[in-house]
Parts: sequence; structure tokens; C-alpha cells
Amino acid sequence: MSFLKKTLPGTSILGKLLASFLVLSLVPLIILGLWANHNFEETGELAKRNIDEMARLNLRSAESLGQRVIRDSVEALDARSTEAIEVRTIDLANSIASFLYERDDDLRVLSTVKISGEAYLKFFRSHYRYVIIPDHEPRSIQQPKDHDSATVSGNQENSKSWRHRPPYRFNRMKIPLYAEVSFIDLEGNEKLRVNSDGSQALLRNVSLKENTYCKAEDYFGRLQGLGDEEIYVSRVVGAHVPGWLKISDGAVSVTGESAYAGKENPQGRNFRGIIRWAMPVLENGVRIGYCSMALDHEHIMQFTDHLMPTDERFTSTSDAGEGNYAWLWDFEGRCISHPRDFFIMGFDCETGREIPGWISESTYREFLESGNTLKEFVSHLPLFTEFTQSKKGSKAQIASGRIALDCRTLDMAPQCQGWHEGSEDGGSGSFVILWSGLWKLTSYAAIPYFTGQYGRSERGFGYVTFGANVDDFHKAANQTAEFIQNSLKQQERSIEEINLKTENTFREVERNTRKMLLLIGVGSLSALMLASILISYSITRPIKDLTVGAMAMRQGDLNQRIKVSTSDEIGELAYSFNEMASNVAEVDRMKSEFVTIASHELRTPIHSMLLGVSGILGGYAGEINSEVRHDLEIVRNEIDRLMKLVNDLLDLSRIEARLVQLQIGPVRINSLVTRAVSRVSDLAAKHNHSIENRLSENETMVMVDEDRIVQVLVNLLGNSIKYNPDHGKIIIQGRSSDRMFTVMVVDNGYGVPKWALKKIFDKFFQADILMSQKVGGTGLGLNISKRIIEDHGGSIDCSSPVDPGEYYGLVLNSERKGAVFSFTLPLA
Amino acid sequence: MNISKILIVDDEETISSYLDRKLTQLGYTVLVASDGEEAVELCNSQKPDIVLLDVKLPRMNGYEVCRRIKSNPKTCNVPVLMLSAKSQANEIEEGLAAGAERYITKPIGFPDILNHIKSFETA
Repeated sequence: MSFLKKTLPGTSILGKLLASFLVLSLVPLIILGLWANHNFEETGELAKRNIDEMARLNLRSAESLGQRVIRDSVEALDARSTEAIEVRTIDLANSIASFLYERDDDLRVLSTVKISGEAYLKFFRSHYRYVIIPDHEPRSIQQPKDHDSATVSGNQENSKSWRHRPPYRFNRMKIPLYAEVSFIDLEGNEKLRVNSDGSQALLRNVSLKENTYCKAEDYFGRLQGLGDEEIYVSRVVGAHVPGWLKISDGAVSVTGESAYAGKENPQGRNFRGIIRWAMPVLENGVRIGYCSMALDHEHIMQFTDHLMPTDERFTSTSDAGEGNYAWLWDFEGRCISHPRDFFIMGFDCETGREIPGWISESTYREFLESGNTLKEFVSHLPLFTEFTQSKKGSKAQIASGRIALDCRTLDMAPQCQGWHEGSEDGGSGSFVILWSGLWKLTSYAAIPYFTGQYGRSERGFGYVTFGANVDDFHKAANQTAEFIQNSLKQQERSIEEINLKTENTFREVERNTRKMLLLIGVGSLSALMLASILISYSITRPIKDLTVGAMAMRQGDLNQRIKVSTSDEIGELAYSFNEMASNVAEVDRMKSEFVTIASHELRTPIHSMLLGVSGILGGYAGEINSEVRHDLEIVRNEIDRLMKLVNDLLDLSRIEARLVQLQIGPVRINSLVTRAVSRVSDLAAKHNHSIENRLSENETMVMVDEDRIVQVLVNLLGNSIKYNPDHGKIIIQGRSSDRMFTVMVVDNGYGVPKWALKKIFDKFFQADILMSQKVGGTGLGLNISKRIIEDHGGSIDCSSPVDPGEYYGLVLNSERKGAVFSFTLPLA
Repeated sequence: MNISKILIVDDEETISSYLDRKLTQLGYTVLVASDGEEAVELCNSQKPDIVLLDVKLPRMNGYEVCRRIKSNPKTCNVPVLMLSAKSQANEIEEGLAAGAERYITKPIGFPDILNHIKSFETA
């Protein structure tokens, strides 16, 4: 088995190489893999965190940007709207002023007209003006008219931001501009009068107040003070129309019995009023009377009642409840036009007295304590004092429906003070105020009409005010804000989705990378293994070749040469081996030749000697005496011994030189033993030995060279016979074991001392020294036997003394210790 | 078969002269050749009754001599007793294959040689 180990040196070298390759490559690979994996995880986490953070930052910046944009947009839109409203306010004020000046012109024309019914009627009829008829439907949600996208410019170059609105088509009707046109004599008697219904009514003396409009006019007295070219213009005079505000849950509505209030109460009674123009009429430079015209106040209200400070721009029916509308104040701060007609200052036409304006609850309480009439109390109130929103309108006045607005004493409306003060220098402007929970932009502009009493201050005729919900200005911005908010929400969702996707992608990439790493690992591992196998093979193959060569040499094939394929150390080794093999082969050849020659050369003189001695002993040289015969017999025995020595030496040399080719074949054990026993039977008989062949019936087949094994058996049996005292017993027995058959030659001779057991198979070990008598031997027999058995793959052994219990029928004692020679043979 | 003429082929003069002398004394006609070619010639010309043939010979070895003798119709019936110091199995086999009737290894005593010769006589 040790033989086998020696034949496979490649296993260990291959193993070592593989192991070192694996350690050298696998360890860094594993470290690399782990590191890459760790890095990847960390990178993934970091990337995820970064992406998330980046996304959040983006979102936040988008959010803040959005907020900023919205705020800026709101501001920009508010600024633009404010600007636009301010401009509209001024435009409106200017329009009204122009309109009023036109009335001055009318009056001057009238003053030159012949004082006749026909002429005055003609004048009257030539002054008509359109008014818009409000929709007498209650308020409904009405979408502002959008820009008509269907109507586009025929020229493509104009299509960018093309804006177009179809004309506003409100229901209109032409009504007389003046409620009445009259001529009054110097005593105040109406001499001529055309009424708005076109009829000639009863002529009155207007120096008396009760004969005037709503019994409230006192203009005749003033006319007398006019210069010839001077024009008298009255304030707005009309009957106050009561109205009732109902406030529930913070929402304000107008009751049905109230005055007209636009969409809030379209069926209500309108405020009817006039503004009177009058101037002296001269005839040949002499004042003969006064011409007078009463402008239908409806035409003034037309200026404000259909304006919208919103994208809607114009409306047939205003809506104070919505908060976007325009209205007018006169030079002293009286409300003279309002979508809610009950807010317009007017008179009690029964008494001709002016209805006092709405005051705050707290001020009203003061009035109650004053004991004065309300009219008296209000007329003596300090103007624009302690105006604040924290005051609420007096409930008593609300209940009475008499809630006309007098800016000067409307102490729960601080904006009044703003408008009044702002218009004091005839200017315009705006401000924002939180009114009824809504941010309102309110603008004002003085109406630059300075005729008559209106010329007393820079404020002129009075002032226009606009009220607008600030939120409506930046509706677009608010829509954008909503859009942005939705976008941000969408984006946030998107970011979450992207994050999820990113995470999934990372996971996938991670999985793929792991797979890749594994693949690379397995791949490089396989490559490395292959490489190491190839490398080790390239190293071990020549080594194996060397080993095979050496083994072949050992088994006697000295012609074995190793193919030198490399020039490295192994190549050198192979070359040296081949050199050595050649040398050994040469030495072997020489030795073989020597043995052959020597044996031949030795045999020839021995042959000559034997011829001579045997001839003499055979009587072919005449008679010899007994003494000569005895001596010659000694010579002949020595010649025999010499011959045997030569034969043994030759045999041994041939075995050692591997010149012996074993003729292996299947042989029966009993045939072997029987042949050997018969060969030594004569010798045994001579020494009175009995041989007990216990294998004579054993037909076990062994794979051996029959002649050689017989030679071994003969040698062993011969030794037992020759080197032991006569009358001994020799037993031959055997047994089969795993793959081998053991043959035992047992004698009851002197035995072998323990020290000699190991040496007994050595070359030239002389058994003679164990014995008192010399037998004479070559000292080569056991060595040859050992070699033959070993060449068969078996082993030979000697043990002594014999265990008495082991071999029955053997007489043993202190003299006859006995010895066992056993050898094994391969089974067939 | 009666044997009277013996051809001894051996390059060792000691051996051939001893056998020549002893066999002649015993009444045989003895021919001696000291090399192979001479042996073939003598055998062909003298027609001995038996040939004692050594293997190791000058000019032509014993095997070849034996083959010549056995391939020559005139001498093919002459018994050849090969007598050689070469004692290996293959050597013996070669000798027998060459046609030798018997192969005897040296050393051998004279009485034994005589017995071999005589055994051909009786056969």
C-alpha cells in the first residue's frame, strides 16, 4: 500500500496548490465581495436617504417657491387690480364730472331758449338718455363672462394672447334726462314747466318749500343771490326709501319690503331723486326770471349701478351683497348713489325734512339720552369722531328701515373717514380694510365738478368709491395656489412613488450585483481552480512521469526515459533522471554481462575440475585407494558447493538485475507443495526427517511462477532438514486470508534466536554460526527466497520458538524450540 | 544405434582434450572442433554418430551450428548433445529449439557425460 501512496504524489501537490490558490484568491475575493456588498448596502442607503432628502428639499423649495410665487402673484395681481380700480375710479369720477358739466351747458342753452311751452318741450324732448334696465330677477350665481375664445383674430400673428369680449348687451331704455324743465319768474312763480311725463302740470310758486320736490327744496331763495352768469346746482334731493337689513349667522340679506337693492332685492322701490340746475334768464340785459332743470338722479346712479370692479366689469344689476360695487357720496359726505337704494340719503317728503343718517349703537344711545330729536342730535354730532369697526350700527335705525348713510356720522365705518379725507384735496386713492371678515379694497376719487356750491372745496361734486373683495383680485393667483398645492401634493406622492421605485431599483440592482458578485466569484473560482489544476498538472505531470520512470526502473525496465518537455527545474530533473537511467542501464548491462561472463568463466574451470575428479572417482583413471577416493570426494563436494554458490550468485544477480521474468499463472497449492516435497524427499530420508504435508489436498489457486515458488519451498524445506538435528519433523500447512494464501513450513529444530530473526533473510547470513556443526551453505538461499516472494507481492517471515499449542503433532522442548517460516502468495 | 564416432565441439582445449583422451581410451573415434564453422564442416564431412556441442564458440555459436547440422539432410539425423555453462531457461529453450536432442549444463562429471552418450546408443 505504501507503494500506492508513492505513485500519487500529484494529489498532494495538486491539493497544496489548490489550497494555496484558493486561499490566495478566495480570501481576497470574499473580502472584496463582503466589502462590495457592505459598500453597496451603504451606498444604497445613502442614495436612498439622499434622494429622499433631495426630493424633500425640492418639494420644500417648490413649496416655498410656490408660496413665494403665489404671494408675489397675489401682490402683483393685487397691485395691478388696485391700479386698475383706482384708474376706473378716477375715470368714473371724471365721467361724472363731464356729465355734470354737460348739464351746465344744457342749462346755459336753456337760458337762451325762448320762453315758450313749445321751446321748453323741444328742449325737454331733445334730452333723453339711455338707462340700463336691471334684471328684476333675484340674485343667482352668475358666472363672469369669459373672453370669447371662439372669436379669434383672422391674422395668425395676432393670435398670441388674443383677447376679445363681445359687447355688453343690457336691456336699455331711453328716458328723459330731466325730471322737469321750468321757467320761474322773479317772484318764484313757475311760468312754464315740462314734466318728465310730458304733461303740463299745475304751476306752483317754488319760493314756497312745500311746492318743491319732496317739499325739500329751498333753491328759490338762493337764485336771487346769483350773478347773471352764475349757475345754481342743488344737492341730490329725493324721498328716502326705507330698507331693512336682516342679519342672521353673519350673513346679511335685504327684506322684500325694502327699497331696491340690486340683486339683493330687485323688486324693491327705487330711490327717485333730482339735482336741480337753475340760472337767471335775461331779456335785453334785464333779468326776467330763472330757468331750471331737475336732472333725473337716475342718470347719476347709472354711472355706478352697473359697474363692477371685477373681471365682470359691467352688470345690469349690481350686488352689494357680493361686495364688489361702486357708489357715490356728495361733497358733504352724503351717500347719493348705492346699489342698496335705502342707503341713499333722502327726505321725508311729508315733512320735507332730511332723514338722519345711520349711527352706531353707542352713539344712538347717546342720542336717546340727549332728549333731542335724532335729526337735531345727528346734525350736532362732531364729524368723523371715533370712527371704528368695533362699533355696530344702531339696531333701532335698522328696525325703522331708516339707515341712510351719512359718511360724516357713520361712526362704525372707519373707511368713510378715509374716503372723505382722501378726497379732500380732490385726489384719489385706495386702501385695504378688513370689513365684515373679508379683506376689501376700497378706492376713492373726487369728482372734479366745481359749479355752484360744489366749487366750495377741492372735493368738487363729491367722491366716487369702489368696494372690492381683495380675494377676487387674485382669484387667478388663488387658483394657481390651489393648483400648486395640488401639484405639490401630487409631487409628494410622486416622490414617494419614485422613492419606492428607487428603493426597488436599488434592491434589484443589489440583487443583481450580488448575483454578479457570486457569478464572478464562482467564475474566478472555477478559473482559478482550472488554472491551479493546469499549473499543478504542468508541475506534477513531469513529476509523475519521473515517478513512473523511476518505478519502471525499479521494476527493471532500464530503458525507460522521460520526455523532457520543459526547460525548467523539472526539465533538468527529467534530463538528469534520463542521464542517470542511461548510466544505470549501462551499469546494469555491464553487470549482467559480467554475471553472464563470470558465471560462464567460473563454470568452465569448475566443469574441467569436475570432469577430472568425477572421471577419477568413476574409475576412468585406473584403480585408486580408499584414502584418495575419500579426499577426492571432499574435492567433489567442494566443487558441488562452489557450483551451488555460483548458481546462487548468478540467480541472485539475475533477480537483483531484474533479469528474471516471472512466469505468472494460476497454480494449485497442493501441486506446488507436492513438487517441492518430492524434490527434498531424498535429503529428508537421509537425515531421517519426516515431512507432514498438510496441504496435499488443498486445491486453492494462487497466481505465481510455479518454478520459483517451488524453489522457495525447496529452499525452506532444505534449510529445515539441513540445519536441524536429525529425526526431526517438518509440517507444511497453510491458510487463506484476504487475497493472500499463507504457507507455513514448521520444524522442531533448534529454532532461531531472537536477534537473528531479522537478519536471517539478509544476504550471506550464515546459519552455520547458529549451529555447533557446519553444514555448509551459500548464505544466499533465504535472501533469494525473500526476493522471489516479494516479487510476487507477498511477504516472508520467520518466527521462533514455535508456540506449542499452535501446531499439533510437533514435539518441542528446550533443545527443539522450533521455527516457523511463513510466506504469502496472491490468490488467483 | 551404435555410437563409435563422436564429434566434440569446444573452444576450451582442457575440456576437449580431456574428453578426447578419455573417450578415445574407451574406444570411441573422437573428432574435435574448436570453433563453430569447423564443427559444421567436420560434421558434414565426417558424419559423426553424435555431437557434443558447446554453445559459446568462436566464429559461430553452438545454436547456429546445431541449426546447420539439423538443416543439412546429410547430418540432420546426427544427435546433438548440447553441453554448455549457459544454464538459463531461455538458453536451454533456444538450444532445444535449434534442434538439439538434449541440453546439458556444465559442470557435469565425466561418468554422467558417458551415461548420456550411452543413452543414445540404447535408444
